[in-house]
Amino acid sequence: MRAGGAAPGIEVAGLSKRFGAVRAITDLEFRVEPGRITGFLGPNGAGKTTTLRILLGLVDATAGRATIGGRRYRQIPRPLHEVGALLESTSFHPARRARDHLRVVARAGRIDRSRVGAVLELVGLREVAKRRVGGFSMGMRQRLGLATALLGDPGVLVLDEPANGLDPQGMAWLRELLRYFANEGRTVLVSSHLLAEMSQTIDDVVIISEGRLRATGPLSTLTGQVRSSVRVRTPDAERLVDLLRPRFGAIRRLASDLISVEGASPEQIGPLLAEHRIVIYELVSQQTDLESVFLSITGSAPGAPGTDAARGQGAQAPPVPATGWTESPPS
Amino acid sequence: MIRLVRSELLKLRTTPGPWVVLAVTLLLTALGVVLSFLFQKSAHHVEFLAPTTTYRLRQLVGAGITVGGEWMAAILGILCVTGEFRHKVMTTTLLAEPRRWRLVVAKSAASVLWSVYYSVASLAMVAALGIPLLVAEHGSTTALWHQVRPVVPGLFGSFALIALLGVGMGTLLKNQIAAVVVILATSFIIEPILVGVLPEVGRWLPGAAAAAVSGHLARPEFRSYLLSWWLGAIVLAAWGLVPVVVGYFTTFSRDVT
Repeated sequence: MRAGGAAPGIEVAGLSKRFGAVRAITDLEFRVEPGRITGFLGPNGAGKTTTLRILLGLVDATAGRATIGGRRYRQIPRPLHEVGALLESTSFHPARRARDHLRVVARAGRIDRSRVGAVLELVGLREVAKRRVGGFSMGMRQRLGLATALLGDPGVLVLDEPANGLDPQGMAWLRELLRYFANEGRTVLVSSHLLAEMSQTIDDVVIISEGRLRATGPLSTLTGQVRSSVRVRTPDAERLVDLLRPRFGAIRRLASDLISVEGASPEQIGPLLAEHRIVIYELVSQQTDLESVFLSITGSAPGAPGTDAARGQGAQAPPVPATGWTESPPS
Repeated sequence: MIRLVRSELLKLRTTPGPWVVLAVTLLLTALGVVLSFLFQKSAHHVEFLAPTTTYRLRQLVGAGITVGGEWMAAILGILCVTGEFRHKVMTTTLLAEPRRWRLVVAKSAASVLWSVYYSVASLAMVAALGIPLLVAEHGSTTALWHQVRPVVPGLFGSFALIALLGVGMGTLLKNQIAAVVVILATSFIIEPILVGVLPEVGRWLPGAAAAAVSGHLARPEFRSYLLSWWLGAIVLAAWGLVPVVVGYFTTFSRDVT
């Protein structure tokens, strides 16, 4: 347990925001508990960043409340001591040195200046502390952003896409760091579209799309709700689809020779194939993971083609082509 | 509040902008010093001579203002506010201090304090360049010293209130370039025209109000036209504070996305 005692939780109740005629978020409701890592997930434009910005007092809600330990951000007397935040667009003056940036924030947030050296050490930027931020790589900026968030040794961490720009080692380091903070009893809310990375890290999920809450709860409970599926590659796909349709609900044609059968197991499909003498090249049981939970709930892929999710995660991503998942209705 | 002002001062100190503006202020002052030694003898004849009249000696003490150096304080005030928007650092700033009115007050205070640095630097340039020139040209340093007291308070006041005007413009317009263009165009082009056409209105404008604050520097025949120094100070402060307040309720109260 960290020195400051139990960390406060986050509560979002009836939260709505309109930008002119656009409804960014509608009647959002969820809780984030201390001692756990909560993943805040949703497709691009789902309203994640808007929600976090309301929580942090940067954007005014149209209706509802978003509170930390029962208080709005603006009511917290020394907010950096209680809440550390890294936002996607967190930016730095390019001509300012990394250490000076932290000193400016420490002064404004009434934080002892000894913390500046401590957080630089923690995020591994001590060597470049005297360099101007303009020359920093994306990953270094992200680390500096994290250092800024950790400056006040806060009980609550709110991180918007913290994995952006981090290399695989950086990612592993971030996961460990978040786990360490959660184990200390801190509240960790982290938004991301890198689902493969997130599934290894988070305990709870809050999934939103089109500004509305789609699912919330422990990750294990959610993955249990989504049925597993079987993927079959066969030259005789037409016949197999006709054969399976009466027996199984959702059958998807992923390619001319590839189909996916939801709610089925290889033990059910195998005997059928043998009985009807259908040649197959591949019979794969699909694991129920965060990505399929996400897809079945939001009905869309987390990252558009060309984003990090599509580009960098190919090796670890589940072997389901995202393009095939078009039928799942939003819950 | 003090730690917030100190944070703003550190912000200014750790970026090149304010230092560049300081360098320009020093250059302008140096130019003002040299100009105070030039005498127009006739249409084609200018001589370099030590100033002897009260008016010219005051021009030397206040060399930072005679060439418009006080408007550099406006640019500083603009930088202090618009830097937050230009480099999108407002998010970080507001996370540390979510009560935005405190931020506006801290920025105003930090800009006024930096204007004091500029005033001091400008006087240092007068001492470093003006006094040796005066001695070389057989002028009287005692006579110069007598003009320090009438000039210096107005110089500090003028720099400080114009810094506040810059904060106001920056808060209102948010855009660095736009704010600088508006403030310089107004004081150097639009205002002189208005003063000529409508003198009764012209004396209430920021430039004339600033001239009233540093009234001892004005040409004797121009002084009767200007407001009294204290009224000029109030008017100039209002020119700064009104946009600060309006900007607070518009720019600073908006969602930061």
